[in-house]
Amino acid sequence: MKTAADLKLGEKAIIKEIDVNHPSSQRLIEYGFTPGQDIELITQSLFNDPIALSVRGSLVAIRKKEADCIKI
Amino acid sequence: METANSEKIPLISLIGAPNSGKTTLFNCLSGKNYKTVNYPGSTVEYSVAPFLPKYNLNASVLDTPGIISLYAASPDEQVSIDSLSYHPDYGAPDLILVSVDSSQISRHLLLVKQMIHSQFKIIVVLTMGDILARKGYKVSESILSERLGCDVVRINSKTGEGIERLVELIKKNLEPERIIPFSENKKEENYSLFDSFFLKKCHHDGSQRRGGFFRHRHGGHHHGHHHHNVEHHRHHFDEQYLKDSHKLMHIFKEIENIERESLVKIQETIDPKKLDKVNKQFTILNNKPDPFTVKIDRLLLHKYWGIVFFLLIMAAMFTCIFWLASPLIELINTLFAFLASSASNALGNNWLGDLVTHGIIDGIGAVFVFLPQIIILFLILGLLEDSGYLARGAMLVDKPLSKIGLNGKSFVPMLSGFACAIPATLATRTISNRRERFLTIFILPLMTCSARLPVYALLVAFITPVSKPWIGGITMTGIYIAGILVSVIVAAIINRFPEMIIKEKDESSFILELPTYKRPVWSIVANNTYMNSKHYIRRAGPIILTLSLVLWFLTYFPNSNPTVNENNKTQEQITEARNEIRLESSYASSLGKFIEPVMNPIGLDWRVGTALVSTFAAREVFVSSLAVIFKVTASGENIQESLLKTMREAKISSTGQQLFTPATIAGLIVFFMFALQCISTIAISHKETGGWRIPVMQFVFYSGAAYLLTFITVNGLRALGIQ
Repeated sequence: MKTAADLKLGEKAIIKEIDVNHPSSQRLIEYGFTPGQDIELITQSLFNDPIALSVRGSLVAIRKKEADCIKI
Repeated sequence: METANSEKIPLISLIGAPNSGKTTLFNCLSGKNYKTVNYPGSTVEYSVAPFLPKYNLNASVLDTPGIISLYAASPDEQVSIDSLSYHPDYGAPDLILVSVDSSQISRHLLLVKQMIHSQFKIIVVLTMGDILARKGYKVSESILSERLGCDVVRINSKTGEGIERLVELIKKNLEPERIIPFSENKKEENYSLFDSFFLKKCHHDGSQRRGGFFRHRHGGHHHGHHHHNVEHHRHHFDEQYLKDSHKLMHIFKEIENIERESLVKIQETIDPKKLDKVNKQFTILNNKPDPFTVKIDRLLLHKYWGIVFFLLIMAAMFTCIFWLASPLIELINTLFAFLASSASNALGNNWLGDLVTHGIIDGIGAVFVFLPQIIILFLILGLLEDSGYLARGAMLVDKPLSKIGLNGKSFVPMLSGFACAIPATLATRTISNRRERFLTIFILPLMTCSARLPVYALLVAFITPVSKPWIGGITMTGIYIAGILVSVIVAAIINRFPEMIIKEKDESSFILELPTYKRPVWSIVANNTYMNSKHYIRRAGPIILTLSLVLWFLTYFPNSNPTVNENNKTQEQITEARNEIRLESSYASSLGKFIEPVMNPIGLDWRVGTALVSTFAAREVFVSSLAVIFKVTASGENIQESLLKTMREAKISSTGQQLFTPATIAGLIVFFMFALQCISTIAISHKETGGWRIPVMQFVFYSGAAYLLTFITVNGLRALGIQ
């Protein structure tokens, strides 16, 4: 299954589900990453990690490892 | 029955997500007349203030740090959340205002829902309606209020619209007997009481906590009458409700429904053509980040350019420190040299004159000499933070730092470390992973803190030829870069043995909101800089001054009035001879000679040894210690110049060798790069890591490395023919 870590620069997607077994899932949900939400990869730093995603009108920087629990 | 008004005025707390307009609302309610106080024993800062008199409400309002959820992910957040149910200094709040950005309600209502579930008494304050209005919508107060089950008010902090209604709602929500109208003729009295109350708070330290300062007493007077007793206000946080992922997602679903119902179009105010365009842009409402911010980020967070900008910003920052701080340091040095020489002239050549010039004035000078760097660094850090860049810097360095066991969030503490390790250590509280936090604390003493700048300035000036001042600049830059490299190497080494820092494994994560770019607010930046500098002076000042006095005593006694052969000598020569004999037979000398065997291998004598011992309390003492030990009297010129002159003439008495040579100076620089010479850092490290293991390891490791590497440097250079 594709995850937010596979997004390309400027690519948009809709969150299908959040892997709740991931230790960071709770924080991600609190930041508004929930199923049905639109996300977009706004920027990525050198080494492509961490990445900045837009969700619910704000920008959140997360590591690729964390982006992996956002299924799209 | 009531003793003072200040003991019973209601407390209204403000909470909300970061950037939800909370602080603007706070300023609206309180004016600029606020005080910033720390939560006892932590860096978490609160602003407290009385309501402006025009609201006719005798209450205080407390601004708290932004949180996004009631479930804490870091020690800092835990403190903020705990204070909602009970603050050790201010008791329990009577009422809590939750600020919610109208254009972000789908995220910000999470905290509101959690607050309601935890049975807090709240009012929802909708801010930034103007941004939402640009999208053609507004939030209906009545629908939202009905759906949430609490009062909702829409305000505009810029125009003051809605504030009156908010105050009315606050009055309505406070219990009737808690409302004390603000009487105009009592104004002075109220304020002075308020001031004395909060001043008392400022001096309050952790050991003196008197939980529920006013609530306890008040409750005591009214047994059972109402619910202001502490016990009634302890909130039970429902872990299950706050933590369970499925529940959280369910809450978000509810919130999305609430959002859909309470958002209403405001077509009449907007040109329909324009609205169409706006609506097309926001096909799904609210999910677009600020376009201006995204545009800047495409550049500042560009894959390659981002690194270039990052390095440029860092370079600009350190250039500012050198270029701006150095002349200011010189100015302070000159000022204190002038004070010392005038005091010496006025008091004469006796023990009192010597105490005032060498003990007190030099001591105070040593406290102030590092202020320029601290102020400049905190000012720049504040500007970077307030503009929104600091979070992006953390994102850019996360990957490299994670390779050596640190976190992107270590970035800000490491930068603050260039000012002082103490606020830097406290700033690590935002790192949720314990191992990363402790490793960050471990390497912070390696950052070139401002206390080292005067020392390096002296040492570098010694080896810089007058004709080639650029050598000094390059050496200084080299020292700063070396400090960073060394910290990276140490972190990498320690990270190889993770068990040394902390036994248990801890999941590493990096989730950080990148705030919208905005123009920094000068008053906020200036206030933060002021608070940090004051904190520093308060903490380091007494230690440095005390040491300075102790050292003066050790160098002046027991043979305070030696007799010398006065034949064929000028008055000046007599004074000099007496100074020499006095020092040779002083306590400091006996102490210094005791440690001389340790100093000889690194090319130094008992005098530098004594100065080095004194620096283990605080590094910046080095310069003033040398001045005291070498009995440098600044007559007209500044201390550094006279000290340099004396240093060039100083010889090791046993061998007649030059004491200060390029080799020993290089050795001293290496020593200062490594040695953990700061009692305050050890104390804060003990407190923040909750044990002695880390501070002891730091002390042994860094001091051992300092001595060993100084030995290698001095003898290595000598072997190469550099004396």
